[in-house]
Amino acid sequence: MLYDSAIDEELAQMDHDSELSKRVVEVSESQIPLRRLMRDCVTIDIAAHTQDAIDLLIENHIGAASVVEDGILRGIFGERDILRKILNKDVGDLTKIPVTQFMKVDPQTAGPDDMLDTAVLYMAHGRFRHLPIVDENQHPIGMVSIRDVISYLVDSFPHEVLTLPPNPIRDALKAREGA
Amino acid sequence: MDARTLSLPISTLDYKQPATVQVGSPVSDVIDIMQAEGFGCILVVDSEQRLVGIITDRDLLVHICGKRLDSKTVLVEDIMSASPESLRASDPIAFALNLMHLGHFRHVPLCIWDDQQQEFPVGLISTRDILDHVAIFIESQAGGR
Repeated sequence: MLYDSAIDEELAQMDHDSELSKRVVEVSESQIPLRRLMRDCVTIDIAAHTQDAIDLLIENHIGAASVVEDGILRGIFGERDILRKILNKDVGDLTKIPVTQFMKVDPQTAGPDDMLDTAVLYMAHGRFRHLPIVDENQHPIGMVSIRDVISYLVDSFPHEVLTLPPNPIRDALKAREGA
Repeated sequence: MDARTLSLPISTLDYKQPATVQVGSPVSDVIDIMQAEGFGCILVVDSEQRLVGIITDRDLLVHICGKRLDSKTVLVEDIMSASPESLRASDPIAFALNLMHLGHFRHVPLCIWDDQQQEFPVGLISTRDILDHVAIFIESQAGGR
């Protein structure tokens, strides 16, 4: 009887796992508004010097920030700009050069009610990591990054991603043969 | 994207060949390669091509720009993350997602191991590769509507 019970439990678990493995993030599920994903907005004043902008990225542990003039989005400045336009280049004293010299002007933006799939396609086709979220007056109110998309995927598949063993099981058959 | 995708090997994604520099190289070499190739990450190897570290554009921001150091006089081992977590190209995509999420990594080296368990980099999977895969899925679903 105990044996039958154990078998039943195992079969039930297999059915459960089988159902989980069929789980699909439907298009309707990827239609979540960006306001649910976006992070707080960190801004750089358009008059700021480049070194101050760099220090702000480091202090806030972010890869990019919105550059604003009177609260309105004018550009975006981030790690990629620093790598491409500043490092190994004789650009002068960064404490005196305005960030406007290196920022990307008029970046692609999205609204808080735009959907996740829109952001994914923008970032995939535009080859950028960060998408500023703005209101109807072009005031930045948040930021969505590739990392946020990854977090959403993980949240969508917690059973498959978060319950993994520390390391993949490799060479399992070889191990059995040796036993 | 469905759960079965996550059990597929990483090799089914369009991952990249890694750019590498040797221990002892100046960080300026890393920057030159990243700028020329458009990479956001470089792997550091020893003279036997074994993986010993990883440097990302974030490391350059924090260590070179933040501390106002000269990239020509700083060596890669001074700013790299040593002994990075790595996977095999045959491992499931779910493991890459797990590392990226819990470790906050943008890049995960893909390696092969020899009999002495020494690891040699053969590829690099990034959060962008995952994003591109999701974008293809979204477009395929939209096309099927």
